[in-house]
Amino acid sequence: MKVGILGGGAWGQALARLVMAAGNEPLVGYRDHKPPHIIPSTDNPPIVSETCELLIVATSASLVREAIQLARPGPHNRVVVAGRGLDPVTSAWLTDAVLQEADVLRVGALAGPAPAQEILNGGLCAGVIASRFDDVRTLTIRALHSNRYRVYDTPDLVGVQLAGAMMPVLATLLGIAASLGGAGVGLHALVLTRGFAETMRLGAAIGADPVTFAGLAGMGDLVAAQARPGQPHYDAGVALARGDRSQEQPLAIARALLSLARMQRVDMPLLQGLVAVYGGLPAIDAVTQLMARDARAEHGG
Amino acid sequence: MNDRPITGLYAQHPREEVVADMRARARRRLTGLPEGRLAALLEDTVYQERRRLERNGSPAERERIERLAQAVLRGAPEARLQAALDVVGAWSEEIHGHFSMPAYRFATSVFPPALDALLSSQLGTGSRGADRGQRITVDGPTALLRELAGEAALLLTPTHVSNLDSPIIGLALTMAGLPPFQYGAGLNLFSNPIVGWWMRRLGAYTVDRTKKAELYKEILKDYSVRQLRTRHHGLFFPGGTRSRSGLIEPRVKKGLLGTGLAAWQENLAAGRADPDVYVVPLTLSFQLTLEANTLIDDHLAEAGKQRYIISDDEFAQPRRVAAFVHRVLSLDAACVVRFGHPLDVLGNPVPVDPKERAEASRRRRGYVCDRAGQVEPDEQRDHLYTERLAHQLTVAWPTLATIMTSHLAAWVAWRLLQQRLGTRDPFRLVRAPLADRRFPVADVLDALATAARAARAGAEAGRWHVALPETPQELLDAALDTFSRYHRSRVIERVGADIVVGDPRLCLYYRNRAAFADLETP
Repeated sequence: MKVGILGGGAWGQALARLVMAAGNEPLVGYRDHKPPHIIPSTDNPPIVSETCELLIVATSASLVREAIQLARPGPHNRVVVAGRGLDPVTSAWLTDAVLQEADVLRVGALAGPAPAQEILNGGLCAGVIASRFDDVRTLTIRALHSNRYRVYDTPDLVGVQLAGAMMPVLATLLGIAASLGGAGVGLHALVLTRGFAETMRLGAAIGADPVTFAGLAGMGDLVAAQARPGQPHYDAGVALARGDRSQEQPLAIARALLSLARMQRVDMPLLQGLVAVYGGLPAIDAVTQLMARDARAEHGG
Repeated sequence: MNDRPITGLYAQHPREEVVADMRARARRRLTGLPEGRLAALLEDTVYQERRRLERNGSPAERERIERLAQAVLRGAPEARLQAALDVVGAWSEEIHGHFSMPAYRFATSVFPPALDALLSSQLGTGSRGADRGQRITVDGPTALLRELAGEAALLLTPTHVSNLDSPIIGLALTMAGLPPFQYGAGLNLFSNPIVGWWMRRLGAYTVDRTKKAELYKEILKDYSVRQLRTRHHGLFFPGGTRSRSGLIEPRVKKGLLGTGLAAWQENLAAGRADPDVYVVPLTLSFQLTLEANTLIDDHLAEAGKQRYIISDDEFAQPRRVAAFVHRVLSLDAACVVRFGHPLDVLGNPVPVDPKERAEASRRRRGYVCDRAGQVEPDEQRDHLYTERLAHQLTVAWPTLATIMTSHLAAWVAWRLLQQRLGTRDPFRLVRAPLADRRFPVADVLDALATAARAARAGAEAGRWHVALPETPQELLDAALDTFSRYHRSRVIERVGADIVVGDPRLCLYYRNRAAFADLETP
């Protein structure tokens, strides 16, 4: 089976390797990053849409729309976005961005802890494909599942995209928590569990299955984001605690999520705290304010 | 005018042929099922039909079901299939109706002018010289629909307010120069002897909602698919039943709606050059509703499920119907029938330009065909596509609705009632004592002015439509006049210097007709 991949960067190359490991033939459509010769590729993305039923979008969230505009997929294509949940510019779910940009209906999202460099180095990992369409899930499993990369599936598209969007933000918050003087594992655990509580509250409001957040797209991704030094979102939090606000990607995602939460009338104090820190509030003051909040029920409070 | 779609169905496809075709389709369906599912389907048929037949049914029906029960029990495959097909055959006969060509020709030549004359007879009673065109307004992309009617099967999907919807839509189709549409009508409607007799002969097919068996629903869907496949335009109410609360349907039933998608795929598989089926949303807006009393009572009693089929309402009383037509449909702008932009079976807007339409039709095949152009069957995919179409309908309906004086006045009165009692709980509000239901005219006029501004702003933004007089005073006078024409208890009335909510239940009903609109922020 031929599998199209849009994006020739490290993540696109990693996915191409996984496609090959599953016994399939990848075709990478690239613009700037030509993959190595071993991976079949083209700088003419519409060829990818023409040739392959299944397209996996392997760009950063902010480039998903552009990738779709270039590749021009059509009704016969199934498009799976392997990016982080939300378009930071329009706050749309990435699969909605695909639906807006092309004549496709069958979309899905691939998420989970799969660091590109580890995959390129032959590491083992897993992911989850979410789609309401059975055939999108089936095709993606056929395209990627192997003894190197396990693919699980779920129909909870909204839940997986929300988890994908929340995890970088929570990783940033964990980076902050770990870097404050005097903070220990207690604060770390508090941020982690209350971050999950916020995710589940928002998830419940938009029809996601709470179990999804305990899976690869939620817990799995968050564990990966803080397991080792050098993870970008976690490091952004460490930098924020020092007053360095130069890494703004978590801010864009947090704002998009807060706008969604406001529409759903869901309280997200941790995300508000993060935005306040980006706005100039010292991290220690943000933590002090959060700790001063009234006591409440652990669930549903 | 092209009248092929409905007359052709009967002239070119005689009753015996239709029933035989339905049996053949059922045979394919039943023999294609795995044993477990087939057994479950037939057991469900026996169970549901026995329950129904406890209440009513003919000896022949009982005999057929008992024969099926015996065959299911013994398990001999061919005998079981035959018994099931006998049931299917009888149901198909019932569904297909009793069309009569002479009755049809008579009705289509006499009914529209007769209704026209009935409405025109009101000209001398102070209705400011309106003609039928002003009383029943037909709006929407009718030229495009006439064009599409010649190149695809159309599926008209209206909101459902009253049992008068079908005749009003029939008239609107004539006024719009569109061919007639075949429609499914609840068996309970046939309880009105005059209307029932006509409906049988005008081509209404019968939907018996007391039949709960899954197999019956499948046969109904087969009938609808067959009708669309043979390029006969169809009409059904996706809400399933009249709106009890007065709200525009927020959800729809997807069973029959999915038959458009199924017919299109069957056409593609058969290699037809003109396979398309287009879905046309339509919203009916009435100043007053014939059955408002019964409907809102049913809603408030939360007995919707038990009384899903109401056979003893105002529609079953010919005098009430005549009085309603006489007093209400003769009002200026009594009813607006607005067609929406047609959608394809996946919920996408159909292009206006013929070349773009042809290209869209070609590309659309990719949603269900493989690269070789063969249809790939996928029930789960089709379910999601139909869900999308259903969503687009619920989005389109409010944009086609017209906020009328009766709706706005009731909305304002209800809002004042909510504010006075400090609650939005409808069950408390409908029990409000008379003393709490009196409002100074000046307060009502102020609130009307604010709500009318919001209604007009929404209409200008294309979110809905309005048919409202210029000033709040004119609006109030028109609403009081409208409400005085039909209902025995007054929705609102003037008592001295006050406006009194006479019947809070009806006030809730008419208020709900405008509930889709945000009228709180001017």
